[in-house]
Amino acid sequence: MLFEIENLQKIYGNDSVKTPALQGVSFNISSGEFVSIMGPSGSGKSTLMHIMCFLDKPTDGQCKFEEKSIDDFSDDELARIRNKKMGFVFQSYNLLSRTNVFDNVKLPLVYSGFSKEKENEMVEQALKSVGISHRAFHFPNQLSGGEQQKTAIARAIVNHPSVIFADEPTGNLDSKSGQQIMDIFQKLNDQGHTIILVTHERYTAEMAKRIISLKDGKIISDELVNSRHYAKDGLIK
Amino acid sequence: MKLSNSFQTALIGLKTNKTRSFLTILGIVIGISSVILMMSLGDGAQGLILNQIMSMGPNNVYVEPGSFELEGADMTQQMMEGMEIKTLTLEDMEAIKKDPLVELVAPMVLSVSRVIYQNNDKKVTIFGTSPAYHEITESRTILGSNFTDFDIQSRAKVAVLGYKINNDLFQDENPIGKTIRIKDVNFKIIGVMEELGTQMFLNVDEYVYVPVTTVQRFLLGTSHIQSSAIKIVSQDKIDEAMESIRLILRERHNIYNPEGDLSKDDFKVVSGKESADMMNMVTSILTMLLSSVAAIALIVGGIGIMNIMLVSVVERTREIGLRKAVGARKKDILYQFLIEAIVLTGLGGILGIILGIIFSYLAAIVLSIALGTQWLFVVSLKSIILAFGVAAGIGIAFGIYPARKASELSPIDALRYE
Repeated sequence: MLFEIENLQKIYGNDSVKTPALQGVSFNISSGEFVSIMGPSGSGKSTLMHIMCFLDKPTDGQCKFEEKSIDDFSDDELARIRNKKMGFVFQSYNLLSRTNVFDNVKLPLVYSGFSKEKENEMVEQALKSVGISHRAFHFPNQLSGGEQQKTAIARAIVNHPSVIFADEPTGNLDSKSGQQIMDIFQKLNDQGHTIILVTHERYTAEMAKRIISLKDGKIISDELVNSRHYAKDGLIK
Repeated sequence: MKLSNSFQTALIGLKTNKTRSFLTILGIVIGISSVILMMSLGDGAQGLILNQIMSMGPNNVYVEPGSFELEGADMTQQMMEGMEIKTLTLEDMEAIKKDPLVELVAPMVLSVSRVIYQNNDKKVTIFGTSPAYHEITESRTILGSNFTDFDIQSRAKVAVLGYKINNDLFQDENPIGKTIRIKDVNFKIIGVMEELGTQMFLNVDEYVYVPVTTVQRFLLGTSHIQSSAIKIVSQDKIDEAMESIRLILRERHNIYNPEGDLSKDDFKVVSGKESADMMNMVTSILTMLLSSVAAIALIVGGIGIMNIMLVSVVERTREIGLRKAVGARKKDILYQFLIEAIVLTGLGGILGIILGIIFSYLAAIVLSIALGTQWLFVVSLKSIILAFGVAAGIGIAFGIYPARKASELSPIDALRYE
């Protein structure tokens, strides 16, 4: 099991004012899955993702990644796990603005300790698999939103992580670009990457294989997608 | 993260903000270049002092009236009374001359007077001494000849002109045999000295040399001398000779001083080296003071760097969050910002050193012209190492706080930061 999540609770705030974000969430994710975490804003989906990628600690409950929880690691080891085993795609791309596409994609490798040749090879491969090789030496402000997000995906997969977290990856994109991005995710999943997609759009969520719906910090449904949409078929929306 | 990567990241960070980076390091540049300039000026001054004192010859000692270790009020009083102190006489000098360690003795009396030749009129220093003085300083006449021991004994009214005085009073005329008036006394000119420049910071080319006895009798009306230059037979005998001179003078002045307490003496014996050391100490202190002022500029520059680094951390909050999310450790972020600060100050340091050297060189040229003497252009390795060390130290000291702040940002908050 890749993720084992049991009775996860997260409460923000101090002693006097407590804001619960997660109130007892339990589920498992195995390797190779494509899971959408859905819910309206404030439902706790971002908090859940942050806990799953070891950026945040739960107040109570367990979140195990490859049999181990956040408490089993030091800060440096956590950084290493995020570096080697997890990839991140954000809604607002989060590219370094004065750095070209190639170096943006290389960013995680800077902390990995590969040789220069190996680094370059891995970057080229990642650029190729998202189809943005022709833009390698452009700067983010010379790219469209879709191209920027493709760059971000290349950055997420450059280190061959076992799981990719995508937080509203199509939220800032027009539908055509969004469709291209989702197509990339579906292909990556076909290649064996586990993908965890956070979204509030049902249609996008239905491109995954499984949807976990959250509301007010609780799971209201956890089901497989019956009629999965395929981005390559075009947009029906 | 490899160190070379850290450097690269830092350099890219700085390159993207060229103007800001430059303005930031300006404080450091100014600070470092002033430290270098001050230290260079200090070294130059010391070189000049050494040069001036040694121009009188390395194995000379000087006898002066007054006690050695007078302090505060006594010292001031003595300086105010200056000329009035009457302890040393020509007879004392005769006694010293008999010491086998002493080679030459040149008594000295100075008097400032107007010198008149026809309608030329000039205020000059009349320097009463003996022929030994020109032997000690190894200076020669270019015209005529110097006065002799016979002139001393006979209180002859003869004068030898300094090089510049001769030019001022006589221009192209041959002065030998001419008569000048000093304080209503006629003096016959018998010689002109070669050009000597400055000795002990005094422009001896503007002196008029007259037999010491003549000055005592006709110009000052005293039987004392103001000081005396004494040449010792060899340099390694200087300490021995100084002690011997003290004993002679104590005996002659009836000073009972078996323990050799210098403050009990009514004279002092100093060596050229000692006075050089003392002057060096004074310039060292001055250099230190000036450098400290320059160092304040460095600290201000350092604070400027800290300020900009703090701004930079805030500006790049999202970048820091992203880096942490993709696997940067606290250490990596800390190094990135620290190295950026060090590279900034390092660049400032290099620029400052270059500018400091240029300023020092210009200062040496200006001072050489202004003082009419050779001012040494020295930039010691010590000052460069010190300046650079201080710059790097400032980079670390003022870079660590912003860097820590950056490294401790929570990645989630940082990613959310707009």
